[in-house]
Amino acid sequence: MLKMIDVNKKLGNFALSGINLEIPEGEYFVLLGRSGSGKTQLLELIAGLYAPDSGEIRIAGKDVTRTRIQDRNIGLMFQDFAVFPNMTVSGNISFPLRCRKYSHADISRMVAEAAEKLNIDHLLDRLTNNLSSGELQRVALARTLITSPRLLLLDEPMASVDASLKDDIRRIFRQLNREGLTILHVTHDYREAISLAARVGVLHNGRIIQEGKPGEVFRRPENEFIARYAGIRNFFRVKLYAEDGSWNAVTGNKMVISIPPDEYPVEGLLAIRSEEVKILNILSAGNSQKNMFRAVVREIYPSETGMEIILDAGEMIHADITMNEFTELNIKELSVVWITFSSEAPIVFSGKELI
Amino acid sequence: MIKNSPFNWILLILSSLVLLFILAPLTGMFLHTEGSKLLETVSDKDVQHSIWLTLWVSFTATFFFALGAVPLAWVLARKKFPLKGLVQGIIDLPVVLPHTAAGIAVLGFISRDGFLGKVADSVGLTFINRPAGIALAMAFVSLPFLINSARDGFAAVPERLEKAALTLGASQSRVFFSISLPLAWRNITSGFVLMFARGMSEFGAVVIIAYHPMIAPVMIYDRFTSFGLKYARPASVVFIIIALAVFIILRLIPAGRNHLNSRPHAEND
Repeated sequence: MLKMIDVNKKLGNFALSGINLEIPEGEYFVLLGRSGSGKTQLLELIAGLYAPDSGEIRIAGKDVTRTRIQDRNIGLMFQDFAVFPNMTVSGNISFPLRCRKYSHADISRMVAEAAEKLNIDHLLDRLTNNLSSGELQRVALARTLITSPRLLLLDEPMASVDASLKDDIRRIFRQLNREGLTILHVTHDYREAISLAARVGVLHNGRIIQEGKPGEVFRRPENEFIARYAGIRNFFRVKLYAEDGSWNAVTGNKMVISIPPDEYPVEGLLAIRSEEVKILNILSAGNSQKNMFRAVVREIYPSETGMEIILDAGEMIHADITMNEFTELNIKELSVVWITFSSEAPIVFSGKELI
Repeated sequence: MIKNSPFNWILLILSSLVLLFILAPLTGMFLHTEGSKLLETVSDKDVQHSIWLTLWVSFTATFFFALGAVPLAWVLARKKFPLKGLVQGIIDLPVVLPHTAAGIAVLGFISRDGFLGKVADSVGLTFINRPAGIALAMAFVSLPFLINSARDGFAAVPERLEKAALTLGASQSRVFFSISLPLAWRNITSGFVLMFARGMSEFGAVVIIAYHPMIAPVMIYDRFTSFGLKYARPASVVFIIIALAVFIILRLIPAGRNHLNSRPHAEND
C-alpha cells in the first residue's frame, strides 16, 4: 500500500534521512518516536504537505512523490485534530465533500452516515469551540474518513484525549483496520503500539532504527534506546565471560547473571524487563538456581498492572508484579525476598548497538 | 495588589494627565461651539459636500486597495522569500514619511508627467484635483494600517488548520477563502477601519494632490486660514462627530464571534 524508498528531507536543522518503509494493504503499523524524532514531518511528507528532497513515495504501486496533495486521497488526522473553529460540526465533516463538489443531497446523506457511525449525530449543528477533546477527535475522524481514504495517518491520536476515552478510540481504530483500512499511527507511547500494531517501527533522530512485530521489537530491542522506549527499567553495565560453556555477565556491584549462550564481546549493557523479574517468599525456596538473588525491598509503588517493587540485590532491580502476587507475598519495605528470572530474560547489548 | 500605595497614586495621576491631554482640547472645542453655529454649519452645503466626499473617497480607496492588500498580508504572514524584511520595511515607510513629502511623491507619480499619470491620461483619466487622486493620496499614507493588521490576523491562524484543509482536498484558493480569511476576519476588518479612519483624516498628502474638491480636513484648514479659528471650529466639531459615528458603527460590525480566541475547553464526559 505505502512504500517509501530512501526518502530524505531536510527541514530546518533537522532531517529525515534514508527512510525506507513498507506497509502492506490492510496493515496497522505503529511508528514510535519521541517528540522531535520527526514523526509528524514523516506523516506530512506522506500526505504531501512537503515534497521530499530525494527518494520516492509509492501508494498502491503508484509513484506519488510529486502528486498534488489533493489528489493523493490520504487521510491525515492531526494531533490536536485541527477542527475548523469557524464551522459547525457538520460544516467540518462536509468540508472534504464540498471541496469535491458533491451534490447537496449526497453531502447531507454522507454526513449523517459518518456522524452516526462515530456517534456524533447529536452534535452536527454545534460550533466546535465547546466540544470535549473526545468529541473533537470524532469530528476530525469523521471528516477524514468521509472521502474513504486508502491510507489513514494518525498523528499521536491518543495524546490529546482523556484517559477514559482511550479505549473507545482504540476500538474505533481496530474496527476501521478490520474493515480493511491501512493505518499508519505515530506515537511516543509503546503501550499504544503493543495494543494496536501488527507491526511497529522505531524512529529516532530522523531514521527508522528498528522494525518488526511488536513482540519481537519489545522483547528483543536492537539497542538501548529502543529498550528504554519499550519501558525496560533494569539496565546494567556488565562484563561478559564464558565459563564451562555457559555465559555470565557480572555487574559493577558483582551480581553474576547467567545469560543465553551467544557470541559476546567483553563488555556490554544488560537489560531485564521488570515483568520478567519474579519475587519469591524468602521461606519458599533456596539459592540453588541460577539467576536467583537475595534482595531487600526498598520501595513499593502502585502501577498500572499491579505493583512496582524496587529491590536491592546488589543492584537496584525493578519488578512488576500483579496485585494478587503482591497480596500473597505479603511484603513491605525492608522485607527480605528472593528474586529470580530465567536465563532467557536478560537482553545484552554490545558494540555498535550501544548509543 | 496593595491599594493606596504611592506607586498606584503615581500611576493614576500620570494616566489621568495623558487622558486629560486628549480629552481637554476636544471638550474645549465642543464647549466653545454654539449650538446655533453648529446647526448653521450642518446645513451648509459646502460642509455637507466635503464631509460626504471625504467619507466615500476614503471608503472606496480602502475597499479597492484591500483587494490587493489582504492577499499581500497573507503572503507576508505565510511565505518565506528573499528580502522579506525589506518588503516589510517598504510597507511601513508611509507611516514615517512626512505626509506632505508623501503627497509630493504621489503627485510626481500621478501627474501628467508621471508614470501612472501618463497611463491614465492615455485613457482620458486625470488624477489631479479629482476624487481618484485624493483616494490615491489617502491610500498611500494609510495602507500600512490595513496590511499590518491583516498580516497579524493571518499569522495568528494556526498553520495546521490550513494544512488540514489541504489534506482534506481543498485547493489553495479554497483554503484561503474558507479557512484563512474567515479566521483572520476580525483583524482584517479592524485594519480596514483603521485604514479608512486614517485616510479620512489625511490632510498633508491630499492637499498637495487636490485643494479642490475639498475634503473635510482641507475645508477646515481653508476656513481657518481664510476666516480664523471661530469659523473653523464648528466645521471641525461636525466632522469629528461624523467621523466618530462612522468609527463606532464600523467597530460594532465585526463584533461577532472571535473563533481563534475562544479556545476549546474540555468538558467532563
